[in-house]
Amino acid sequence: MSATQIAGRVAGVDAGAPIRQSSLWQDAWRRYLRNRGAVAAGILFLLIVVWCIVVPIVSPHDPNRIEFPDAYQGPSWSHPFGTDQFGRDLFTRAALGGRISIGIGFGATLAILLIGVAYGAISGFVGGKLDNALMRFLDALYGLPYLPFAILALAIIGTVNFWTMVVALSVASWFITARVVRGQIMTLKENDYVRAAYAVGVRWYMILGRHLLPNTLGVLVITIFLELPGVILGEAFLSFLGLGINPPDASWGSMAQDGRDAYRAHPHIIIIPSLAIATLVLCANFIADGLRDALDPRTKET
Amino acid sequence: MGRLLEVEDLRTHFFTRAGVVRAVDGVDFSVEKGKTLGIVGESGCGKSVTALSIMRLLPTPPARIVSGSIRFDGRELTTLSERELEDVRGREVAMVFQDPMTALNPTLTIGTQIIEVLRRHLGLDDRTARRRAAELLDEVGIPRARERLDDYPHQFSGGMRQRVVIAIAIACEPRLLIADEPTTALDVTVQAQVLDLLDDLRREHEMAMILITHNMGVVAESADDVAVMYAGQIVEQAPAHELFRRPEHPYTEALLAALPDLDDNGARSRRLAAIPGRPPDLIDPPQACRFAARCPYAGCGDSCALEPPALRELRPDHRVRTAHPASEREAVTA
Amino acid sequence: MAAYIIRRVVWTVPVVLLVIFMTFTLMKQIEGNPFRKTERAVPAAVQANLERKFNLNKPWYVQYAQYVKGVATGDLGPSLVLRDRTVNDIVEEQFPRSIELGLLAFGWAVLLGVPAGVLAAMRPNSRFDYGSMLFSNVGFALPNFLVATLLIYFVSVKWGMLPTSGWTTWQHKILPSFTLGLVPMAYFARLVRGTMLETLQQDYVRTAKAKGLRRRRVLTVHVLRNSLIPVVTAAAPLLGYIITGSFIVENIFAVPGIGRYYVTAVSARDYSVVMGLTVLLSIIVIAANLVVDILYGILDPRTREART
Repeated sequence: MSATQIAGRVAGVDAGAPIRQSSLWQDAWRRYLRNRGAVAAGILFLLIVVWCIVVPIVSPHDPNRIEFPDAYQGPSWSHPFGTDQFGRDLFTRAALGGRISIGIGFGATLAILLIGVAYGAISGFVGGKLDNALMRFLDALYGLPYLPFAILALAIIGTVNFWTMVVALSVASWFITARVVRGQIMTLKENDYVRAAYAVGVRWYMILGRHLLPNTLGVLVITIFLELPGVILGEAFLSFLGLGINPPDASWGSMAQDGRDAYRAHPHIIIIPSLAIATLVLCANFIADGLRDALDPRTKET
Repeated sequence: MGRLLEVEDLRTHFFTRAGVVRAVDGVDFSVEKGKTLGIVGESGCGKSVTALSIMRLLPTPPARIVSGSIRFDGRELTTLSERELEDVRGREVAMVFQDPMTALNPTLTIGTQIIEVLRRHLGLDDRTARRRAAELLDEVGIPRARERLDDYPHQFSGGMRQRVVIAIAIACEPRLLIADEPTTALDVTVQAQVLDLLDDLRREHEMAMILITHNMGVVAESADDVAVMYAGQIVEQAPAHELFRRPEHPYTEALLAALPDLDDNGARSRRLAAIPGRPPDLIDPPQACRFAARCPYAGCGDSCALEPPALRELRPDHRVRTAHPASEREAVTA
Repeated sequence: MAAYIIRRVVWTVPVVLLVIFMTFTLMKQIEGNPFRKTERAVPAAVQANLERKFNLNKPWYVQYAQYVKGVATGDLGPSLVLRDRTVNDIVEEQFPRSIELGLLAFGWAVLLGVPAGVLAAMRPNSRFDYGSMLFSNVGFALPNFLVATLLIYFVSVKWGMLPTSGWTTWQHKILPSFTLGLVPMAYFARLVRGTMLETLQQDYVRTAKAKGLRRRRVLTVHVLRNSLIPVVTAAAPLLGYIITGSFIVENIFAVPGIGRYYVTAVSARDYSVVMGLTVLLSIIVIAANLVVDILYGILDPRTREART
């Protein structure tokens, strides 16, 4: 039997089960859908986002209107989450607070990604001494607490609003992302197709833009959901300490602070925004786990 | 010489979410005292699972020995408790693994890793164990043995590491050594050295050995008896010289044909023959002969396409599991 | 190894200088005004005096050099707001409490988190495994101000078992340290479970079993030892968690420590204190990283050559 005949027979055997060509992302998506916990978390996450967007529009209650006679009501039909010390409807207000909390969360996460990708890509792509210096710097700063620096940043800027919160929360939170991106770029750089691109004279920015950065996308998607919980908790901490979002605007953190003094008599005021934060963080963690399993080929089979 | 190890109708299955994988499905063989049994087969045929079943080292779940018996020197191993097994492993039966790069603990010195087995089974004190460990390293051919006791595995080359693994395995003078693809992960130049070492050690210490490999050449060099495995079963079993001279099973023939043979000038005399097709799925193996789909002699009306052939003794000590052994084939055509 | 340690130590010097410089530059953006911005008008002579006292009239690099010199000699300068008090006074008074709180929290985490992870890994998919992982997930997600509030509500107010706030007797220290230790605990449980499951799969663990070693020895010497190496690496980010968490926990439980004072100082615009504390916290984290890296090198011999 000749080699071609053998190849033909082998191919014939293989042809019994045609291998469908599917992209990395379709594959990952299928694997993600198989993970029930991650799917449930994703759906719940979307529901919370939709609630935050829709409820303030359709709600009969003005979330900022003060009605002292209605203060400190427990949950009821007209106020599913009850009211706070000013008689404001917490169902509407929590949705409004969610807009700000989640908005700041995604804003700061994107900022973290931008800084992290820039730093990591430069370090990994240039390599050599620069990489060494940049990484030693990161090594030393690994685990630097973001809260004091966020407080400091807010003090320097002097005003607290959505955008300054985004800046404050991303200022000292990008170290891990930078390290991850750098590691990814370093690994990709070793690939033969990148070497081949260099060998045929492709320019460095094309290699970076076409071969390296797009392939870090999977890692970045995971990073979004890894960073989001920290940022959302960070916003809550700042607002809880009275250094974050100011009244009458609400975030989940500032709402929790509102409930702080009355926790003995009216615990629902602090519990509701706190549970909203906890649910969102829990969802994000599960989504991150699911994405990691789906996108990381090492854990593909197990 | 009596039989040291007798394996009868061993069935080891993996209970996975996708189904029951019959990795080892009715295997019989025995190992004589002081002799070497070679087990040959392609990857996934169940030869490693057989070895790990004897050592009872398979993760349970998912793996389970469903039936069969493994008798070592008359002692049934399948029913031993974990604690009793701990006294057999490393003392009576020892094992050399495929990949020396991962088989040693990276955070302990190799001295520690040899000494701990000496202390465990022979109850040596620290000083004696250390001296013995150096002797062992020396015996497996590691230069400057005494100094190297304090080195970590990553400071050794692959071949040297495999020598360390072998030193650990023979430390307590086991009566049976199971070598699971001991040379597969090594450089070609080192492979022969390690095989020679194993063979020498076996002779000196009067050990029996099970040598598991996918390489017919390795078996030819050092095995007394050979068992060829395919899809969880033994398909042919014979003394080595007999098997190489008069292979009966079409699969054995194909394996032998896949070996490069060199002519007198050292040039390869012909194109290597590949075996078409792939082994069957062991979750749902075919009712018929498991080799039927790849067998060049299986016709559609044959009995072997309907019911599995049994292992039968064609000649004394030469057993085969096929409806078309080479000797009968010629008789039919003639 | 020695060369590696020396290199690593030498590298921290520019990083510390850089961190001080960045903090210093940031402070410059708001400084110069703590006196001018006050509501009460300050007489020009007093203003000049104050500026001289705090070196505000010198060029920035002189100020920076003097500040670095101060940090190097353990002098963080005077407080801008509290008369007759230096930042060192404040640190000496408040810092021990924060360290105690942090260590106790870390203690809870090691005491409960590590065994939970080990037991979960030894019986994967058991009820204990699911339970501890659920606990770990929830522990990660709950904001610590909710945990603190609930603990105070039930343990202190309803059941009257422990005091609600303060930092005097050991009873005072239980709730704050437990609250602060919850996230590290969850982290340890999950991390140890993961690394241990991975280690259990390693070939060398199979080799250890094949040697006939007793199960206890396989688990302690071969599995646990190798599983705990990544845990050491996790200590540095955990320190970050603990510092961040201490801001909230000290605030709620009225623990007079650094975390609480930091917020007070920012509100009071006592910027020399803010700067001093920031530099101090950063140096602690940098030092912790240094120790962790060196420890890692000792525990995992493979990294010794690779890193020098």
